[in-house]
This record gives sequence, C-alpha cells and structure tokens, in this order.
Amino acid sequence: MDRNYHVFSDGRIERKDDTIRLVTDGDEKKHLPIENAEALFVHGQIDFNTRLISFLNDQGVALHVFGWEDYYAGSIMPERGQTSGQTVVSQVQAYDDTEHRRELAASIVSGSIHNMRSNAVYYDSRDRDLEAEISALEQAASRIDDGLPINELMGIEATARKAYYRTFNEILPEEFRLSNREYNPPPNEINSLISFGNSLVYANCVSAIRATALDPAISYLHEPGERRYSLSLDLADLFKPILADRVLFRLVNRGQITRDDFETELGSCLLTEHGRETYSKAFEETLERTVDHPNLNRKVSYQYLLRLEAYKLKKHLLAGERYEPFKRWW
Amino acid sequence: MYVIMVYDLQADRTHKALKLGRRYLTHVQNSVLEGEISDGDLQQLRGEIEDLLEPGESTIIYELSSDSLLNRTVFGEDPTEDQRFL
Repeated sequence: MDRNYHVFSDGRIERKDDTIRLVTDGDEKKHLPIENAEALFVHGQIDFNTRLISFLNDQGVALHVFGWEDYYAGSIMPERGQTSGQTVVSQVQAYDDTEHRRELAASIVSGSIHNMRSNAVYYDSRDRDLEAEISALEQAASRIDDGLPINELMGIEATARKAYYRTFNEILPEEFRLSNREYNPPPNEINSLISFGNSLVYANCVSAIRATALDPAISYLHEPGERRYSLSLDLADLFKPILADRVLFRLVNRGQITRDDFETELGSCLLTEHGRETYSKAFEETLERTVDHPNLNRKVSYQYLLRLEAYKLKKHLLAGERYEPFKRWW
Repeated sequence: MYVIMVYDLQADRTHKALKLGRRYLTHVQNSVLEGEISDGDLQQLRGEIEDLLEPGESTIIYELSSDSLLNRTVFGEDPTEDQRFL
C-alpha cells in the first residue's frame, strides 16, 4: 500500500492540514494522502519550502527529483530511522574482501542475466524467433564464475545485455528499432523509453535501500566511486527487465505509446509529458502487481520484491546467510 | 481494503474531520471521503476519529474488501481519478 505519487504539473507542493497539497500554476489544489505515501516523484517544475521537507522527513516519505530532459536529478531522503554502524562495517568488509565481492557481483550478474533471459523466453513463445539471443544469454550465464575479476564479470554482463537488446528489434514493431543503446541524450524513441524506465527502477531501488541501514554508496558489481548511489545500480540491474522492459514492450506493442509521444530535437529524443504519464501509470500498476512468494507463503507486490532484495543483502552481510539474487520464478 | 467515510460534525468543527480524513483518503464530496487503505492505517484512523468526536457527532466508515466489489457510478467529474498522477 505504500504508493508513489507522480507530479507532472508545474506549481508548488506544501504542507497543509497535516498532509501534502499540490497547488498547480493554474491554481488547482489537490491533496495527497500522506499516510499511504512511499515517495513523491517530481517531474515538473515545483517549488517547496523547508516546512514541507521537515514534514516529509517526519512521515518517512522520499522526494525524487527528475530534472532537465527527465534525468534523475537526486532525492531528498528522510533522515535515517535505522542507523547501524555494524551494517556499514560489514558492507565495507565484504567490498574489501576480493573473494566476497566477486561472489556478490557474480550473483548479481547471474540474476540479471536470468531475468533478461526470462523476457526473451516469454516473447520467443509468442511467435518471435529469439533462439539465437537466448543461447547467447545462456552462454554468457555459463561463463559466470565466482573467481572472475569484477571487470570480467562486467564484461559478461555487457555481452549478455547486448544480446538481450537485440531481442528488442524482434519484439517491437519496425518503427521502434533500437540500433544501439545510447544515452546522454537518447537519440531515438526506444533509447529514450529505456532511459526513462531505468531511472524509475533506479529511484525505487534508492527508496528500498533507504528502508534498511545499508549504505547506498557501497556496492559490489558497480564501482562505489561512481557519482550515483551505486548499490542502487547493482539492485536495479536485477529488476530492469522485469519492471522497465516489460512495461515498455507492453505499451509499445499495444500502441499505447506511439511516435507522437516523443519530441525530437537536435540529436535528442525525449518523451512528452503525456508519454511520461502513460509510462509512469503502467509502471506503477506493475509495481502493485503481486506474485505468490514461495518462501514467505504469501502474495507480495513487485515493489516489495525490491525491498526484500535489500533485506536479503543485509541479512547476508550481517548473518552470513547465503545471498540468492532475485530471479523471476513465475 | 477500500473504505468510504462519511462524517457529521458540528458546523464549526467539520474541518477537523476533513483534515483527519485527507491524510488517508481522497475527499470526494462535502463530508465524504473514500479510498484504498491498509488494515494498519484503518486501525489508526478509527482511533483518531474516536478521539475527535464530541457528543452528538458521528462518523461512519463503510468497508469493502476491495474496490472491485463496489459498483460505483460517477456523474460529472470523478474526484478520485488519477490521484497519483498530478
């Protein structure tokens, strides 16, 4: 029930009557129920003050900001309810221990390839010929070994991803061809959709990590030196195929997103506000979908799977329980 | 769980119920709110309503296990539409 709210309009968000209120530039006023909010995703030009920030902090609600061209610009996170020096120490120790780090990085790569493969298999069973790509993915998966240095693991992941992106051309209609995966800025429609989807997955992983005492900057597959929360990049790799890509395939194949939902300008191609809204809606619906969880013996939402992944990692680091990466099982 | 909350308070105190309800639900009409709510939040809301009410005032909460059980027809604009995409 912890919901994400997306604000696409321009205006002001403020604390009002112990909840949050959006006042748009057109002077429309809308109240958001704070009690079931997980995070606010701000895509428009929004003003706010410190009173709002303190309130969001008290309520444990994060604010994710998407800036120019809708790149992820940063988050205002609530003060940590959970601080645990012990967790951070174990996290760093695992990073510093070459063997341990390789083991974790290998798990992440294997989970991520498994999830890419499951998309390919699904579409293969729906009249696309993806056998070559599937075998390329399987081949990459078979090369994973705990003993490999990180850059080789990264290399395997990159090879797999390349094969995986080739499936996009088969899965999607002709006018949505992905010649190459490019960003900064994305040159065509499909790259732009991938970027937008990935940034939503990334921001949701930031929220999930924040719910634990893990430090989002200490990661295993990606280098912690990057400017971003690199642990979030690690986790996002596992979930991108399940969340972002499946939404993308569905919307484009059903014609819910068409070429009209993009604005092309000097080598960059970006989603229009309408396109972003369509995508975010489908994305949120996906986050709310539930699956039977075999170990927990109950239904859990996709969003909760992100949270579970952070818990599993923490438990592995603190209690030594084996870390099994998220692999689509249904 | 999906709930509908209606309240009837003294005229100069109605804003208190509205203010409380808005933290959990969507305001749809004068004295009426509705929306999806978790079991935990519902418990909390009930407690807060009890604390708020004075003699002679009342609040009613109708509960449905999900909004799919509710046959809901809206004439005119639907205030609950797209609450999460603003």
